[in-house]
Amino acid sequence: MANQNKATVLVVDDAKSLREFVRRNLDVRGYRVVTAVNGVDALEKFQAHDIDLVILDLIMPQMDGLEVIKQLRLISNVPIIVLSALGEETTKIQALNRGADDYLTKPFGVGELLARVQAVLRRAQPTTSTTQPTVIVRGPIVLDRERHEVTIHGKPVALTPTEFNLLEYLMRNAGKVLSHSEILRHVWGPEYGQEAEYLRVYIGRLRQKIEPDPNNPRYLRTERGVGYAFEA
Amino acid sequence: MTALLNLWQRFKHAILALQRDLGVRLLALYVAFVLPLIGMVLYFDHVATQRLRSDVETANLTLASTIAQETNLTLGSLLSAAQHLGSEPAVLESDVEGMRSLFAALVNDRPEVNLVYRLDAQGIMRYHYPEEPISTVGADFSFRPYFKRAQNSRLPFFSRGRISPTTNQAVVTAVMPLWDEHQNFLGIVGINVRLESLSWVLENISAAHKPEEAFVVYIVDNIGQVVASPNSHDLLTTLDKRAPALLTLAHEGQAGNAIVNQDNHTMLYSYAPIRSAEWGVVVGRSTESAFATINLFRHATHLALAVVVITGVLFWFGLSTQVIRPIEQLAAYSKAIGQDGPHDPKQQKALERLYNRPDQVGHLARTLVRMEADIAARLQELRTLLQTSAEVASTLDSRTVLSRILAQVERLLNVQKCAIIAWDEQKQAFVARASRGLSARYAERLIIPRDEFNSLTLRALQTGKPLQISDTETDPSAVGLRPRARAEGYRAVLAVPLPTQHTPPAALVVYYPEPHTFTQQEIDLLTSFANHAAMAIENAALFARSDARLQEQTRRLEALIQSMSDAILLEDHNGRVLYANRRLAELAELPPDEISGVEVDRILARIIRQAQNPTAAHAALQRAVEEGMAEIALRRQGRLTDWRVQFFSVTDVQGVPIGRGQIWKDITADREVDRMKASLMSTVSHELRTPLAAIKGYVSTLLAEDVNWDPESQREFLQTISEETDRLSQLVTDLLDLSRIEGGSLKVRREAIDLAALIQRAAQNAHPAPGENLRVQIPEHMPPLFADPRHIEVVLRNLIENAVKYGGEESPIQVSVTVESDQVVVRVEDEGPGIPPEHIPHIFESFYRVESGLTRQASGAGLGLAICRGFVEAHGGKIWVEPRAKGTCIAFSLPLTPPDDTTA
Repeated sequence: MANQNKATVLVVDDAKSLREFVRRNLDVRGYRVVTAVNGVDALEKFQAHDIDLVILDLIMPQMDGLEVIKQLRLISNVPIIVLSALGEETTKIQALNRGADDYLTKPFGVGELLARVQAVLRRAQPTTSTTQPTVIVRGPIVLDRERHEVTIHGKPVALTPTEFNLLEYLMRNAGKVLSHSEILRHVWGPEYGQEAEYLRVYIGRLRQKIEPDPNNPRYLRTERGVGYAFEA
Repeated sequence: MTALLNLWQRFKHAILALQRDLGVRLLALYVAFVLPLIGMVLYFDHVATQRLRSDVETANLTLASTIAQETNLTLGSLLSAAQHLGSEPAVLESDVEGMRSLFAALVNDRPEVNLVYRLDAQGIMRYHYPEEPISTVGADFSFRPYFKRAQNSRLPFFSRGRISPTTNQAVVTAVMPLWDEHQNFLGIVGINVRLESLSWVLENISAAHKPEEAFVVYIVDNIGQVVASPNSHDLLTTLDKRAPALLTLAHEGQAGNAIVNQDNHTMLYSYAPIRSAEWGVVVGRSTESAFATINLFRHATHLALAVVVITGVLFWFGLSTQVIRPIEQLAAYSKAIGQDGPHDPKQQKALERLYNRPDQVGHLARTLVRMEADIAARLQELRTLLQTSAEVASTLDSRTVLSRILAQVERLLNVQKCAIIAWDEQKQAFVARASRGLSARYAERLIIPRDEFNSLTLRALQTGKPLQISDTETDPSAVGLRPRARAEGYRAVLAVPLPTQHTPPAALVVYYPEPHTFTQQEIDLLTSFANHAAMAIENAALFARSDARLQEQTRRLEALIQSMSDAILLEDHNGRVLYANRRLAELAELPPDEISGVEVDRILARIIRQAQNPTAAHAALQRAVEEGMAEIALRRQGRLTDWRVQFFSVTDVQGVPIGRGQIWKDITADREVDRMKASLMSTVSHELRTPLAAIKGYVSTLLAEDVNWDPESQREFLQTISEETDRLSQLVTDLLDLSRIEGGSLKVRREAIDLAALIQRAAQNAHPAPGENLRVQIPEHMPPLFADPRHIEVVLRNLIENAVKYGGEESPIQVSVTVESDQVVVRVEDEGPGIPPEHIPHIFESFYRVESGLTRQASGAGLGLAICRGFVEAHGGKIWVEPRAKGTCIAFSLPLTPPDDTTA
């Protein structure tokens, strides 16, 4: 936790009251907080500081949150939590597709915010597990946990931490059908379980990266209404 | 039974067939007439023959009887003479001298007596006279049969014929037995009668007959010996050989006739008895001659019958060949009339033969040929009329039809010149609508004014009946026409009016180069053509009218469809464009006049290539074809447009599919509205959730147990919560106001207001507040203004807030009030970047914000200006943007004399 508490968080929101509320709460809990009032400001601040987590509003002057995610993803795999008044699923999926790691719909309580912050930071941390093999080989796909590297037919594939974690979990349980909530709990954290759309987005992104034909998946099989399974 | 019935049927058929044959019927009639005739003739023949025959036989018998009677008398007198001599004493006493005188007197008195003699009781000749040349006195004649008979007889009788030895002549003797008073036989006295003398009568009778009659007459005695005959050498011959049967009859003392076949000919014999001598007379003649009349009569009858029969047969034959067969041929020929194709050559030949006959059959044949020609002509007329009808019905071009009708008239009536003259509306005269054979000059000059009463055409039109001029040179009514007729070369004219109803009057006129009186048939035919011509003209006129209407309608429909904002396409079964409107051509980026007939796939490809995502668009199009409808986004002229494409099958009135239709509807505006609604929702959501998020955030912060906040922070948080609550409350008020404005339920409570004070209060309540940047210009003496102070304050506050938000923190904000005529105008100006011109028309719309997407220059729901407009308009005023070189100026007016109605 100490490690996490030292994390630097960039809080981006045009509404001062909300910005202040997040800043004050993170600050008091030991995070370093940098604030930005709009997207342009956020990108500048991100360049200027060593940011571990971005908390981002979507509706902002000059540059909206979605554009900020897109720009950030061009340069970094930094975890991003979206805070938005827009609760529609389309917006959520849009944000997740662009590369957001989590999405909080306004209004929310401070506890929920802190839990998400911790979970996202935890996922971003490479876990060190001694009980499990560090290299998993399933068909042509090789996942090396230690080196945080995935290759298909020897070609490296760039994955975000969440994508990496998701693939690892699926590969470890290859051939077994895993339910949505199971996957969410294991990959995103115990706080999760209902966010099926997260899974949809990430499975989609993984398929784009590892499947020869993303429209007819060979490895990542959908069990309709249940969950997903990895087929080697 | 069945066979019998069958036979009966066949018989009946045969009878019926015979009944149908005139020849047989005539023959039957002839037989019916001739058969009784033959019967009658045969009967008459039979009766007449009988009569003639009996006449002949009677005549024969009468002759025989007459001879018999005469001979009887002669013989009777001789018997009397013998009896007389027997009573003479000289004789009894055989006194020679006495006998001499007695005998001489007798011999001299009766020429047939050639000897009188006296035999004694022993049969010895006692005396005979004449005594010489030969004397048989003393000769014994007792052997003579008559001597023996005389010994037993008291009465005289005739002996049989014999040659007298005394006279050496054939004689019979009248014998008188002589007896004394004591009944002693004394001998006899005999008178020899020369048989020749008996034959003299017969000779005379026989001589009256022709030798071919084979007439025979005999007197025969009771033993069949001829005692008299025309031929002396027949005497004393026996007749038995010639007529054996007759003798018996004759000897029985009966008279009668018999026909006897002798050798090779037939003889009719009549016989009659000569009672005094027990002799008979036989008269015979050949039946050939006897019945010559009968035979002649019979021959004549037979000949007559034969003539009747032969004549009948010949007559029938003649009738058959000369009448019946020709009639049959004519019938067969007439049967073939009216059937297409040439006649049978045999029939044709037969008819030609008959045609040249001068009699009634020839007349009939000629009539038939004429009739056939007539029928052919009528058929031709009918065909032509039918053809004309068909042409009239099939062609709507009246000019073509009329010229064809005239061609038919020319052909059928054999005229060289004809025309249809009709009223011309433009020329106000009758002119030749169509002509044939007329010189162009004549046709051009054929203009008949309405009042030209001498015109045959006009007279025909007036009377409504066909009129003719048989000869223009002689008809007094054609004086005016004569020069023209001469120039054009016609002598006879016929004008037939056309029975037009819906079109101007017209007439069919034909011209003949020679004087000609039109027959009723010609007139009738032309009337038919006139009717057709009328029909053609009317059809064309009606069609032209309906066509014009149809075209008008089509034009309207076309205009309607062409003006539609939706693109419409109709494709045929071959996938080609049948029809497409202008909008579709525009959508396919093709010139409108090039689109018809193009393959629909090509059109679609041209549309799809404008799609934002051609693959998706293609899939959507496929879906539209299958499911009937899909939506496709196209980038057109740099603008993203949404289209809803709908496919549907197009059927005609009967429900038969004629192709497939598609409608492309530009739903960009609808989608825009959808997007605006979504945007509104997101705006309202954002505007509501932002203060809520702050409130919930701070409340949860205060409630969090892991941090103890210092009182200052707590106060700060509570202050924020309070502010955000106000903001939320204000937003709710705005939304309610807007809903009232848009729902029309806004209540305006007017009272006299102090505008200067309202401006100050609005500026104070504005968030963000203008602070020091606000400058207010207001006339010192304001006329009293009646308005709802809350509404006007909201308007002012919103405008000031906008000026602060968009003008920038440093921009001065000026609020100026002026009184212009009967209204107060308030202007709120800033010196910020100003509103982009393209947004100016929309800024008073609800939820309209200058920014798009999730980018927000400033917070706010975009409701302010819409609420301003609603409030101002509810007061009867206006709100507008005034152009400024720099910054923004929004002005609104309020009327000084408010309208009576206090409700907007």
